Amino acid sequence: MVIVKRKELSLAERLYLPEVFRALSITFRAIFKKKVTRQYPEERLVTTAVTRGQPRLVLLDDNQHLACVSCGLCEIACPAYAITIDGAETERCIEREPKRFEIDMLRCILCGFCEEACPKDAIFMSDELELADFSRAALIYDIEKLKRPRAALQPRIDYFYGANDRWRKRSSTS
Amino acid sequence: MSGSTQTFEYARGGAGLGQTPPGPLDPSVARAPRDADDPLHGEHMQLNMGPQHPATHGVLRLKLELDGETMLKIEPEVGYLHRGKEKTCESLGWAKFFPHTDRLDYVQPLMNNVGYALALEQLAGIQVPERGQVIRVLLMELSRIAAHLIYLGTSAIDQGAVTMFFNTFKVREDIYTILDAYTGHRMNNTYVRIGGVFADVDPGVEALVRDFLARMPAEIDGFEALLSGNRIWFDRNRNVGVLSKEQALAWSLTGPNLRGSGVEFDLRKAQPYCGYEQYDFEIPIGTLGDCYDRYLVRIEEMRQSARIATQALERLSSSHGGEFLAEDRRYVLPPKDKVHTSMEELIFQFKIVTDLRLPAGEAYHAIESSKGELGFYVVSDGSSKPLRCHIRAPGLMNVQAIPPLAEGRLLSDMVALIGSLDFVMGEVDR
Ligand code: SF4
Ligand code: SF4
Repeated sequence: MVIVKRKELSLAERLYLPEVFRALSITFRAIFKKKVTRQYPEERLVTTAVTRGQPRLVLLDDNQHLACVSCGLCEIACPAYAITIDGAETERCIEREPKRFEIDMLRCILCGFCEEACPKDAIFMSDELELADFSRAALIYDIEKLKRPRAALQPRIDYFYGANDRWRKRSSTS
Repeated sequence: MSGSTQTFEYARGGAGLGQTPPGPLDPSVARAPRDADDPLHGEHMQLNMGPQHPATHGVLRLKLELDGETMLKIEPEVGYLHRGKEKTCESLGWAKFFPHTDRLDYVQPLMNNVGYALALEQLAGIQVPERGQVIRVLLMELSRIAAHLIYLGTSAIDQGAVTMFFNTFKVREDIYTILDAYTGHRMNNTYVRIGGVFADVDPGVEALVRDFLARMPAEIDGFEALLSGNRIWFDRNRNVGVLSKEQALAWSLTGPNLRGSGVEFDLRKAQPYCGYEQYDFEIPIGTLGDCYDRYLVRIEEMRQSARIATQALERLSSSHGGEFLAEDRRYVLPPKDKVHTSMEELIFQFKIVTDLRLPAGEAYHAIESSKGELGFYVVSDGSSKPLRCHIRAPGLMNVQAIPPLAEGRLLSDMVALIGSLDFVMGEVDR
């Protein structure tokens, strides 16, 4: 336990005027200090693999098909009800793929739960942060707007596997 | 029937608890003399302060009855930011509520995360691994410093010290840079999970924290040099809003407001969680309980938080490779690579995401947030959704201290009082 010390004012502090000049000297000295304000949008924040930006869908190596099998886990995991998926049968060996995959970017709170829930590595948080458009409808992103080649999301995927690496000592099932 | 009588008495100020009911304060200390020369004297005026007033720190509405500049009656009205968080929790389910806790007291999301996680862990009976606890402590203490910096900056700018606002926000920005590097977001971190934290940290971030903690004491000295002996700050805070020990206890105030009145109570010491008993730190307390004391207590708390954070950082750098998330397949998602290779793990993944169930029962866990005792009370009937989730927000208790402390004072004291009671409406209204 420490009892905080209440200060009493010195004579100069009580007179106030000397203090005004002391304060002004502090203010003027600050003019020559390094500026900390960032001139957005010219100077942007540095984004890294840790940055949890907007979720994006991963394309398979053929750059055509999504890795998603429309299992619906991300839809269930989403606390903001931002994801809507309609699945469909496909000839490809994965058997199901999303016919419609929409993320309402106005609802999305960038929590990353979809990324954690996905069992197919099909959705990851990109480092894309900016979000602006002229209509609400344009901000409901469909597959066309969401898909990204795997290479673009690779840093995040590596981070996710690295940082989430755990339970190495003992394992009950594998 | 007797039960309801008791509740009534408690609401009246705890007379049933054997404490002195809060009465009018010693007039020589608390009240400014009513200005009889004031041309407006005698004619009462109704004034709405808020809900869009910058000094009410959010959307608090105060209905004031004024005689000249003296406040006769104060009626705080809360609820403008009510988003139904408790009910949201009950409809969303256990794990999905984490991002919503961020938005309770939005200046310290990580503490809310941890408070909720601790309640769930108590209910489920999970033990968080050592490293997970250390990361939690480090992040909570950084958040505490950030929250106190906001208190300092906003209450200073409300009382005219604009420089303080920029200085504190500059330092807070450093904390947010650290949190960004740790969690991927500057605010609304959603970093804590049942059983630990989401991910381990890059050792490179430790250097960032070390650098910040080394600079921190000098920064706090700088704030003190600007404010503690500032005549305006002095006059507007000394002997304003004097809260006696008995009043503070009777209104169940906690945190820096209670400690400013001289009660040594800190949950980190009284009911240690996350291994706080292993850290070396002091609890600052005040003597008189006025706004100035609460200011001093918070300044000292920042120093102590920096001390805890330094110790946590040491532990962190000596436990690389430790587990940060409990291995419990009932509540914690298995690692991704195992999900790809093992059928059982895939089933667990589906089970936990779609239908996470906590055992039937109830749990209450409280943490010492920057505002006071932040408690989560959860009741489970064994299903995937909470039967009840109650959040004990310290801010709500702080709001109820406004009317008695402000009564009979000048209108301008209200700004100092609101600043020093330090509440965030996101948490008060929930
Ligand atoms: S990041 Fe969160 S809110 Fe956004 S789509 Fe994914 S789960 Fe939903
Ligand atoms: S969890 Fe993954 S695989 Fe399942 S629907 Fe979502 S993105 Fe597709």
